[in-house]
Amino acid sequence: MKKYLQDKPAIGSKDSKTADPIDIRLLKHIQDGIPLVERPYKEIGDALGLSEEEVISRIKGLLETKKVRRFAASVAHRKIGINSNAMCVWRVPSERVEKVGKIMASFPEVTHCYERPTFPDWPYNLFTMIHGYTDEECEKVIEAMKKRTGLEDYVILYSEKEFKKTGTRI
Amino acid sequence: MELKREDKKILHRLQSNFPLTTRPFKALAEELGLEEQEVLQRTRAMAEKGLIRRLGPIIDTHEMGNTASLMAMRVPEQRIEEVSRIINAYTGVSHNYLRKGKNKEIPYNLWFTMSAPNKQELTKTIKEIEEKTGLKVRNLPTTKKFKIGVKFNIYRGE
Repeated sequence: MKKYLQDKPAIGSKDSKTADPIDIRLLKHIQDGIPLVERPYKEIGDALGLSEEEVISRIKGLLETKKVRRFAASVAHRKIGINSNAMCVWRVPSERVEKVGKIMASFPEVTHCYERPTFPDWPYNLFTMIHGYTDEECEKVIEAMKKRTGLEDYVILYSEKEFKKTGTRI
Repeated sequence: MELKREDKKILHRLQSNFPLTTRPFKALAEELGLEEQEVLQRTRAMAEKGLIRRLGPIIDTHEMGNTASLMAMRVPEQRIEEVSRIINAYTGVSHNYLRKGKNKEIPYNLWFTMSAPNKQELTKTIKEIEEKTGLKVRNLPTTKKFKIGVKFNIYRGE
């Protein structure tokens, strides 16, 4: 990636947390995917009245300021056979969250690992998403996570039905 | 869709750092030892088949100055479709799943993520959903991120 980022300076919004109006227009235009053609950035530019160079430069800028986390393909994991997606929530003593979170995140099968607040009816503060070919495979990973952290109180939640799944849109 | 070795190679590569050059598919082709047209055609075919959901920016809502959160609700079985329709109508909702606890009973069954331009908007939408459905929405915002990055190993299972 470095190679692509270094060759030209980026333009667009430089500060974090302030979005440049043209950047927003660009993101709105491409958030559902860029055209799959030889010169996609030219086609995007033509549609928005920007030059090909400016489109490229703005995307680089959005990556540098981390407004865009990745510029890449999102794969439909079920279609490549990764059929199981388990959300496993853990009750972790607050003083151990930092350490446990890092251990959980180190498993390659864990795609997301977040801390969230607890409530009287919801004691689970650490959320992990595990992807695998089968439920059994996910549960093996969960067993390993249990062993590594010594945690006992957890719930495995499987998705029974997907009502909506899109990328994060603006 | 039967994936050929070339498809897997392309799919694997496409999951990170799509080239930001005038001819990105040509750059990819050179890296992978394929022809530009082949990379383009295979990518198009995988997109048409739905294997590639989209090729483009993965936006960080938070860095864009937006706010996002995970919501959980307890919805009676017979109202799930109806409540889901109400929730999905909001463009800020990116994921919405019916989930069941496997080893334990849990108080919620409908889980969705929602983003909004700011906290006030998010709170307003939560209230709206509660009013429209007559059900409580539990807001579970992220307090710390340890990992985020969905990248799959295309070659596993070979």
